[in-house]
Amino acid sequence: MIWTYDGSFEGFLTSLHRSYIYKYIPEKLTMDSAGLTLLDEREIIETDFETAAKVSKSINERFPKKILERIFHVFLCDDMPFELDLLLYLRMGFKDLSLIHDLSHPVVYAVEGYQKRLLTTIHKMYAFTRFEMLDDGMLYAKIAPPRNVLPLIGKHFVKRLKSEHFIIHDIKRGLICVWDGQNLQLHPILEASEPTLHEDEKHFQKLWKTFFDTVAIESRKNYKVQRNFVPLLYRELMSEFKS
Amino acid sequence: MTVEEKLAILTDSAKYDVSCSSSGSTRTQDFGGIGSTHASGICHAFSADGRCISLLKILFTNHCIYDCVYCVNRISNDRQRAAFSPKEVADLTVNFYKRNYIEGLFLSSGIIGSEDHTMELILKSLKILRYEHGFNGYVHVKLIPGASEYLIRAVTALADRVSSNIELPSQKSLALLAPDKTKEKLFQPLHIVKNDALTQGKKVMGMSTQMIIGASPESDYEILKLSDTFYNKSLLKRVYFSAYIPTTTHKHLPALNTPPPLLREHRLYQADWLMRFYGFAFDEIASEKNPFLDERFDPKLAWALRSLHHFPVEINRADRETLLRVPGLGVRSVNKILRARRQKLLLARDLDTMKISLKRARYFITAGGSPIDQTELRYERLESKMLALEMPKPGTQPSLFDIIQSTTGEL
Ligand code: SF4
Repeated sequence: MIWTYDGSFEGFLTSLHRSYIYKYIPEKLTMDSAGLTLLDEREIIETDFETAAKVSKSINERFPKKILERIFHVFLCDDMPFELDLLLYLRMGFKDLSLIHDLSHPVVYAVEGYQKRLLTTIHKMYAFTRFEMLDDGMLYAKIAPPRNVLPLIGKHFVKRLKSEHFIIHDIKRGLICVWDGQNLQLHPILEASEPTLHEDEKHFQKLWKTFFDTVAIESRKNYKVQRNFVPLLYRELMSEFKS
Repeated sequence: MTVEEKLAILTDSAKYDVSCSSSGSTRTQDFGGIGSTHASGICHAFSADGRCISLLKILFTNHCIYDCVYCVNRISNDRQRAAFSPKEVADLTVNFYKRNYIEGLFLSSGIIGSEDHTMELILKSLKILRYEHGFNGYVHVKLIPGASEYLIRAVTALADRVSSNIELPSQKSLALLAPDKTKEKLFQPLHIVKNDALTQGKKVMGMSTQMIIGASPESDYEILKLSDTFYNKSLLKRVYFSAYIPTTTHKHLPALNTPPPLLREHRLYQADWLMRFYGFAFDEIASEKNPFLDERFDPKLAWALRSLHHFPVEINRADRETLLRVPGLGVRSVNKILRARRQKLLLARDLDTMKISLKRARYFITAGGSPIDQTELRYERLESKMLALEMPKPGTQPSLFDIIQSTTGEL
């Protein structure tokens, strides 16, 4: 049986709860019904907020902070089919906490693997996010990370740019993260018009490009390595790769 | 000359300096404005040669009154010259930082006018950066050997890290190739900074240096021994190696078409890594009898092949240090093993689940008492197997990917 849910954390928790009630583990738990055929047996799990709140409470009581953080991180991996693994992981943890420390168990290994990839993406965004200065001095960055890291990267940039105002815009998911000098907030955003750049912006982008191009040593050119470090998917929004 | 033209010239002149890591700042002073006090060593970009770009690495000027023969900026070299103003350096740094291009500034310089004059210009750049812009990001300055002590102190107080290149691995080579420099003069800034910290009871700032490899005849053994002395005396935290790239013809230098010894540089970084993080002594890696590293193997594997009596190692019992000495097991793999074996007795298939590569390690370990590979632990048996693993594809250069791994990561 394949279970589909609405992709929300509450929906996921409802599914977890359902697996206890039915004493049943689905073959697959997914928000995406696109790949399913008519022959697949499937059940739609309706999100139940009350149940979800209860499950959430018992998860919070059961697991140490580090594991709670891991659960949250895995849930942000919206590009990978993490659901069934996470469901099994939580069930293992409820049964016996020590089980989820066994890295040689395939479910534990998979779950830690999802988290690792999310953390890698976070570091990539720390590095590759590029701000542009707008006409009013605000810094604005577009990002399109492979997984949903925007909720986690704002704080890092506040530390660096605390005296500035900035917006980071995930154009793939329609989310923005705003720092106005005092508060950091996350909002969904449907449409955004192209903002006007500061008159110096192109000048500094050009200087950066000059630096970037000059710093490479001719006799050591190695585009393969460069691509390993800066995968193509990030480059579209990095000014130094525009020609 | 426009800022852009200056930037092109002064980046080009600075780019052969390899030390670019921005991690490990311990400064607690806050300058109030932009930037994080705690540099985290982020690489913001990777240039076309695959190197990490973390800092705005520039020379203040490429004018120089000296004539070190291996250097592109030497006075006798016919070259376009440029110099920034202190304000230009500060503006570039802050504006690059705001856009998240860099972690901070790496400022070095040729000598314009005199040592003190050059150092004053650098000091002025730092003052604008710290006090006018309130910049908190990372700043690394190459101190100018021979500058007055008060200037060295003032610059050090505003920087996160300072360093000074010792350039060549021996006094003799210095005399030959950099006649204006002596060992004493090159070490002067490092000693001042260290002694100041000690007399004030402060932690000594982690300093680094760079040695050019392949411009002079010293062996790997001599180079590693020298590095070891620096680390032991806690004078330096890090020694960088830079494969010499010929840019000039000189009777004491390799010919112009000599390829830079990249593989050798790579092996030296690996050896250095073993000394700093894997508990190896320099004379385990190279010796007077075998003064050059075996370029065919990474130095840990080369050591293991010479020391087969230490193997095989049982992964369920061996301590951390012993596991780290197994070829092919890096810090991450060892941590995984240490963690997983607390839960149960590890067998070969458990290593597989944890995706620990056994390509090299298989010959050197046992899991639960049984060997993973039946190959006899004899040099003649293993050498060819290892060569098959290491053999670079015909015609390719040593992979720079490995080189970067060796400066950042694992063996
Ligand atoms: S003093 Fe420095 S910049 Fe000047 S020639 Fe010598 S190495 Fe080059």
